[in-house]
Amino acid sequence: MKVLQALPGGSVLGTWRGGLAFLVLLVIALAAVFAPWIAPYPYDIQNLAATNKGPTLAHWLGTDEFGRDVLSRIIYGARTSLSVALAAIGVSLTAGMCLGAAAGYFGGAFDRAVTAVVDLTWSFPEVLIALIFIAILGPGLTSTIIAISIAYLAQFARLTRAQVMTIKSETYVEAATSLGAGHTHIMVSHLLPNTLTPVIVAGMLATGDAIILEATLGFFGLGVQPPSPSWGAMMSSGTAQIFIAPWTILGPGLAICIAVIAINLFGDSLIDAMDIRNRLRDY
Amino acid sequence: MFGFLVKRLLLLLPVFLAVSVVIFLIVHLVPGDPVDHLIQIGSTPEQKAALIAKIGLDKPLLVQYGAWFMKVVTGDFGDAIVLRRPVADLIAENLPHSLWLGGLAFVFSTIVGVATGALAAVYKDSWIDRGVMILILLGSTVPSFWLGLLLILVFAVHLGWFPVSGARNWTALVLPVMTIGLQGVALVSRVTRAAMLDIARKDFVLLLHAKGVSRREIQLRHVLRHALLPVVTILSLRVGWIVGGAVTIEFVFARPGLGSLLITALNQRDYPVVQGCLLMLAMAVMLGTLLGDMVQAAMDPRIRENMQ
Amino acid sequence: MKNTVRSCGILLLAVAGVGTMSGLSPVWAQDATFVLNSRENGAPSYNPIKSTKVNLGIKLIFDRLVDQDADQSFHGLLATSWESTADGMSWTFKLRPGVKFHDGEPFNAKVIEWWIPKFKGTENAFMADAIDRVVVVDDLTVRFVMKNPDPSLLLNLASSFMGIPSPKAYDALGDKFGVTGAVGSGPFRMESFTIGQQTKLVRNDDYKWASALSKNRGAAKIGRLTLREIGEDSTAFLELKTGGVDMLMGVSSDFQPRIREEKSLKLVVLPGTEVFYMPINTSVAPFTDIKVREAVALAVNQKEIMSGLFGNTGAVANNFLISSLPESKIDPKFNISYNPDLARKLLDEAGWVPAAGGVRAKAGVPLTVKLWTQNGTQFKRVTEVIQAQLKTVGVNAIITIQDPASINAMYRKGIDHQLAVRSYDYTNADILDWFFSGKRLGYPNVSMWNDPKAEILNEKAMKGSRTWEERVTNFKAYHEYVQSQWVYAPIYQPTQAFAFNQTRLSVPDTVRGTRMTVQSIMDVEVK
Repeated sequence: MKVLQALPGGSVLGTWRGGLAFLVLLVIALAAVFAPWIAPYPYDIQNLAATNKGPTLAHWLGTDEFGRDVLSRIIYGARTSLSVALAAIGVSLTAGMCLGAAAGYFGGAFDRAVTAVVDLTWSFPEVLIALIFIAILGPGLTSTIIAISIAYLAQFARLTRAQVMTIKSETYVEAATSLGAGHTHIMVSHLLPNTLTPVIVAGMLATGDAIILEATLGFFGLGVQPPSPSWGAMMSSGTAQIFIAPWTILGPGLAICIAVIAINLFGDSLIDAMDIRNRLRDY
Repeated sequence: MFGFLVKRLLLLLPVFLAVSVVIFLIVHLVPGDPVDHLIQIGSTPEQKAALIAKIGLDKPLLVQYGAWFMKVVTGDFGDAIVLRRPVADLIAENLPHSLWLGGLAFVFSTIVGVATGALAAVYKDSWIDRGVMILILLGSTVPSFWLGLLLILVFAVHLGWFPVSGARNWTALVLPVMTIGLQGVALVSRVTRAAMLDIARKDFVLLLHAKGVSRREIQLRHVLRHALLPVVTILSLRVGWIVGGAVTIEFVFARPGLGSLLITALNQRDYPVVQGCLLMLAMAVMLGTLLGDMVQAAMDPRIRENMQ
Repeated sequence: MKNTVRSCGILLLAVAGVGTMSGLSPVWAQDATFVLNSRENGAPSYNPIKSTKVNLGIKLIFDRLVDQDADQSFHGLLATSWESTADGMSWTFKLRPGVKFHDGEPFNAKVIEWWIPKFKGTENAFMADAIDRVVVVDDLTVRFVMKNPDPSLLLNLASSFMGIPSPKAYDALGDKFGVTGAVGSGPFRMESFTIGQQTKLVRNDDYKWASALSKNRGAAKIGRLTLREIGEDSTAFLELKTGGVDMLMGVSSDFQPRIREEKSLKLVVLPGTEVFYMPINTSVAPFTDIKVREAVALAVNQKEIMSGLFGNTGAVANNFLISSLPESKIDPKFNISYNPDLARKLLDEAGWVPAAGGVRAKAGVPLTVKLWTQNGTQFKRVTEVIQAQLKTVGVNAIITIQDPASINAMYRKGIDHQLAVRSYDYTNADILDWFFSGKRLGYPNVSMWNDPKAEILNEKAMKGSRTWEERVTNFKAYHEYVQSQWVYAPIYQPTQAFAFNQTRLSVPDTVRGTRMTVQSIMDVEVK
């Protein structure tokens, strides 16, 4: 352990928490990327003669109500969950950072207006926001990504704004202004790089929440549409047959938990290692 | 202090106005309209136009907004287009269920959350602390619908202690409240613990130690009190959840509530209902923030000074 | 001190006891709770004349003139006897004396005179369409003078939409009738109605005019009846198992074996009245080409769906009507069933050739179609299987699961949908007119089909039949033409099943009707 900690990045990976979490995340990411090569079966091949069978050698986690291999669907489901979550958080982060940086930097009435709207959205339950936008846009992959990104927009806007306002008064920014640097230059070259770290880490933690939100939308039947596997949708169909085939609900449920726990633990150890906990509080 | 309160209340009015405009716009710019749900089979385009005119959907948006807002300030939320009942009635039927569920969960989360968070901070790094940390981790990572299903299976089906679903009587509230409450406990507990550990490092605590004040008194009387400040901040933001945050749980437990009403009305494009629900939600959120600020001001003289 | 502790203890025990008891069983002995068939969830009102979606409760609140037995014969309810002239242009009904509505108003011929014209301009107008005018012969005799003979008049009069409301209450409440108040003459009054959640009914103690289909000649045995709407099949099953509810009006095939295993529960299976089918939007490409329609219809493997999804219960559907109707016995060459080789051949002929990824293409455009269905376990499952079956012949179907409350409105637009998986529940051949008449494009005519020859056959079947036999022949001809034009694909006929807690309820052994409904509920007793 001590040896590991001496390496770069070692203060994160060297701890049990950080290292183990990172390993789990690596496995999940690899599974998502290499799904077609890892998964024993394609995710949409039905076999109506062998529905709801328990775990066997041929199907390690059994089959679902259409005879599809549960293990393969969980592996492909990692693809869906991760890509939706990352895409949504990515969009949300970018938009939120721009909005928050502008609000924090320019201040005044613009800042007050943006803050008022953002604050209101922040206090709304994310599930509700996502459901509202799915109702507006209709179900499907794109709408799910848009809906989830809107739900988390406020968080990143607020965080960026708080960071920017702290940095704005730093001496080097004053120096740049007096040297005649334009607004854009200051924002891009000075403010954004310094706010990146806490915001990116917050984004990572939010990815965990986004995975859960995607699963919840799938549970309502409103996320990605069949036959695309989604951990939440698998749990939803699994509920209907909880007595006949409980493994169809346990598998995806565990997958969600493991993925989100790993993300949270890894994010936590990152925060500790970089000692930015106070920058992430009370924004 | 009183002046501050009045100023904040007055500030609510323009915010309320702005919110109502935003809500109205979002709802009306959504594709599709409720007339599709009302139209008779074989209706001619003239009949459809007549129906639209009757509901008032043909007037310019500004006029529609004005008419709606005027009625709202007098307490008349209008009539639901598809369900044909006063929106106020629909809200009155569903709001109490949400308030009971959300309110009880809120109280439960606060009490249990603060207690466990404080315990974890006081006995840091002991097995109590580790136990609470695991609870926090599970509470924040398990999807609410899964937790709900698990509780139903164990306590309602296996043990038969509580009803599986519905809103029959107070026993039907226990499992849904536990589901939402446990997740709230995770959040409150985490914030309490972090805040207490943070404050325990401050100089004035060191001074108290040096003066010989008992550890127990330090933790309970001094640290906890100061730690409650960030907790109140978090809680004031969760007030909105009381009113509308239980949509998933309402679905799993087949209960009525404001969240479900909102989603059903949204799918049917029943504008007055959606607007009414969103407005109620927004008001709850604004009041919650205001209340939170008030409590914080009452607790922390520094904030009171800042307001003056 | 000891006394305080003891009294506290007793108090706690008492509270716990009351709590447990009130939580686990209804308070009054003659209370019962039924869970509606999830197909009936979300009915917006109990207005029989105006509403197009109603549930079981409407037959409990409102009486009809006649009712139907399991063998589809008719028995008097509010009418005691009836006769028609040989040409079918006039029907005379003798009405039952001594019937009062829940608000005390009397039921007589004048009520019928008020009632029939109320259907004009409503979505249910077709029910009374054939009646030209109503003649009051005397206080208890009424005559319908017809525009054209209508052999299905009795069937319509027995349906949920021809429950008779009290004229006074109906006119007084206007648009609110059926929501805030519903006044009929039925064995139960409406006490409260929460849309999408539950309806509370209270026994009508003055009721003494049940039809011969009920053994009970007086008021219903159940004192208070709660009808609950539960969306998830598993939740409903759990409620029945734990004693939270007493009867499930619909049980999906998933839970039938589980219910059979429970000693306290009883499952009753009745002949099916439902058909699952896939309408094809004939007005948009690629389905404007009849070959593509035929190919898609032939890709559906009915047998595989029945055995894989429904545990081999029920029956496959090869045409549009339930097998118990004579009009379903059409010339076998018109029946539609699985034939993937012919499907592939037809697609080749239509110019859709195999291309990349197993999906056919024509001039570079892939054969990608939209497949809609509404949210619900059975619909979702059937739709996913059909998606896979379509893939095997080279059609790429994209599923969209719509909200049940808004899906009909979306069909009405007519242009967005291509394929859909739907079901209907109806025991008469005129359902062909309902779903395929050119007058109702969008919804219910999801196939958007408007064919002149079909309209002529429709007219003849609906209005040109003088006797029942003629009607069967004419409807068979219409049915066969519909089959030949490939405007839909038949899928499956589920059985009907209901289940109840036999330690709580005693239910008659034979169900005197095509469904478990009011006439049998009259005889259900709480033990």
